[in-house]
Amino acid sequence: MTDAMLQIEDLHVEVEGREILRGVNLTINKGEIHAIMGPNGSGKSTLAYVLTGRPGYEVTQGRVLYQGDDILDLAPDERAKKGIFLAFQYPTEVPGVSVVNFLRTAYNAVHPDEQKSAMAFRMYLQEKIDLLEIPTELVDRYVNQGFSGGEKKRNEILQMAVLGPQLAVMDETDSGLDIDALKHVSAGVNKLAGPDVGIVLITHYQRLLNYIRPHYVHVLMAGRIVKSGGFELAERLEAEGYAGIGKEMGLSEEDLAEVQDKEGAKV
Amino acid sequence: MRNFLEQVKDQFTADKLTRESVVKLSDQLDEPGWLVERRLGAFDLFDKLDLPDPKGEEWRYTDVRRFDFDRFEAPVPTSSTPALTDDLVAKGVVVADFNSAARQHQDLLREHFFTEVPVDEHKFTALHGAFLSDGILLYVPPGVEIDVPLEVWRNVEGGGSTFPHTTVVVDEQAVVTFVDRFKSDDYAAASLCASVVEIEARRGATVNYISLQEWGRNVHHFQTQRFTGYRDSTVRSLAVNLGSAFSRAQVESVLKGEGSFSEMLGLYFADSNQHFAQRTLQSHDAEHTTSDLLYKGALKERSRSEYSGLIKVSKGAQGTDAYQANRNIVLSEDAVARSIPQLEIEANEVRCTHGATVAPVEEEHIFYLMSRGIDRVTAQKLVVFGFFGDVLDRIRLGNVRDELAQAIALKVEGEQSLEVAS
Ligand SMILES: Nc1ncnc2c1ncn2[C@@H]1O[C@H](COP(=O)(O)OP(=O)(O)OP(=O)(O)O)[C@@H](O)[C@H]1O
Ligand SMILES: [Mg+2]
Repeated sequence: MTDAMLQIEDLHVEVEGREILRGVNLTINKGEIHAIMGPNGSGKSTLAYVLTGRPGYEVTQGRVLYQGDDILDLAPDERAKKGIFLAFQYPTEVPGVSVVNFLRTAYNAVHPDEQKSAMAFRMYLQEKIDLLEIPTELVDRYVNQGFSGGEKKRNEILQMAVLGPQLAVMDETDSGLDIDALKHVSAGVNKLAGPDVGIVLITHYQRLLNYIRPHYVHVLMAGRIVKSGGFELAERLEAEGYAGIGKEMGLSEEDLAEVQDKEGAKV
Repeated sequence: MRNFLEQVKDQFTADKLTRESVVKLSDQLDEPGWLVERRLGAFDLFDKLDLPDPKGEEWRYTDVRRFDFDRFEAPVPTSSTPALTDDLVAKGVVVADFNSAARQHQDLLREHFFTEVPVDEHKFTALHGAFLSDGILLYVPPGVEIDVPLEVWRNVEGGGSTFPHTTVVVDEQAVVTFVDRFKSDDYAAASLCASVVEIEARRGATVNYISLQEWGRNVHHFQTQRFTGYRDSTVRSLAVNLGSAFSRAQVESVLKGEGSFSEMLGLYFADSNQHFAQRTLQSHDAEHTTSDLLYKGALKERSRSEYSGLIKVSKGAQGTDAYQANRNIVLSEDAVARSIPQLEIEANEVRCTHGATVAPVEEEHIFYLMSRGIDRVTAQKLVVFGFFGDVLDRIRLGNVRDELAQAIALKVEGEQSLEVAS
């Protein structure tokens, strides 16, 4: 037995007939925190969605092992029950469904041996709300409906804290958070982190990594992880952008042009 | 009374819906001559009238031109009157079934049966006039507030027919809640229900009327509900359609008195090959009247629904507020919902909004819920409950609300394998 929690091997993924991931390899062991950085459109969210089983993302090659088992044939709810959690980059609004009702239903599904009554759940939820300093009234509203950008992100982290996953993937959870919110979110993540948990942070900014120190930093470009390193890699990206690394790693002219287009478009 | 009805039942053999059956029914109920005449007049009308044309506005998309009446046996007379407390009787509240009203309250009967819904409205109301078999008359005197809901249960046998009639007259400043339940088993043989509901809310009166159609799978249900609101009255109605093979409900609110208000709620959930047709009318005939309509429905499997709603504001009805919304959520690709709003506005000081939507359950929503560990069916349930939430919240009877929530959950879970011919 290894300590590998997640093993992604030569993963190729197509969306609407277009190859987005072109051979991703990544291993995450228990207790590790990984950061994935990369230009817009490089496939970071695609990678996150594939882990959760989102419809429309077709795996054409490779495999994904979670705690030793291939999970690619499992439905999204089965993966969640096994402890995989994704904090969405763009959380979905679900009209008519209150956060508290949604979360209790989810909690009881994920923890069938620890069913909580409405009242017990409310108390448990309140602890998490206090930890993350989220406005309590948020949980009585409909899921993400009318939430501000930052509130949506915090609601994702609240869900993570409530469900207590083994593998948590956060897709740009830091984007759009004010400084205080960033601290609360980081506190929530650091509280979850531990020897049995794997954490993946997808981010554009070193800022988050100052609060949550990753063990590894990976650069995803043009559908592949082109470079991995420690915290210093994040610092270098912050200073230099992606083009230099792309060239260094021998990306094709075409792929580089794509990266530069996107960087250009960003400014 | 009971024995009398039981005797009648014994004598009753399986007749079809014929003129002879009308005579026999009236005979056996020992009705006065004028009533026999009235029934026969209605039957002759039934005979003469064509089945409604799906090209006309009222029955648009609902084609019953080949509806076969020979499938059904004539009704077995029943009575389903709610019991009144002594206190209410002392206050002058009257509840009478049609049979006893025919003998003891002839004046009430003449005055209040078929005054708002004429028998000649269409073929099904005419048939109802001929075979009226389970009628109830409720009269609430001025100022009497009945705080416990009055409920009646309607039934029908497999292969049979029933013609329930509800007349509720609520006098000035009086208050009442009335629940009509239509419920039976799932039968192999087709059954027919043609029901008429007439509700009159006099000055300042408040009436809550709930119709719960939860028939077994092979019942064909035709219903006309008409509410008449006089000055400053409030009528709240809820029309629920969950059962039957085919149901057509026509729900009309006629605001005749200044300052009158009508809330019209509808909730339906069709599955397998159920077909629901609904027609509503918000008729504003006086100044400063308000109507607020919200009909919401879910469709599953190969079911169909049609909703057509007319807001009509007559010339003198200045200061009218009329709202109409019909929302449909579709859980399968094979289900079809249609929604047609119509406006006829002759006054110029009018606030009026209407909206209709037909939308599938968003796969995006389901995925988000599933990504947190919730299985697909439960996720659908959450979404569908969310959809019905605002209608459910407006239902004032807790027990009805809970029942409906349960029925909705069962509908989402259930895989209807039962196929019935329509
Ligand atoms: N449903 C879709 N239909 C078409 N193209 C898609 C779809 N989803 C993703 N893509 C494309 O796949 C590529 C990768 O998208 P992805 O969202 O994974 O990028 P990302 O690395 O998360 O970018 P960002 O930093 O902007 O969030 C993009 O070019 C995107 O347009
Ligand atoms: Mg992304």
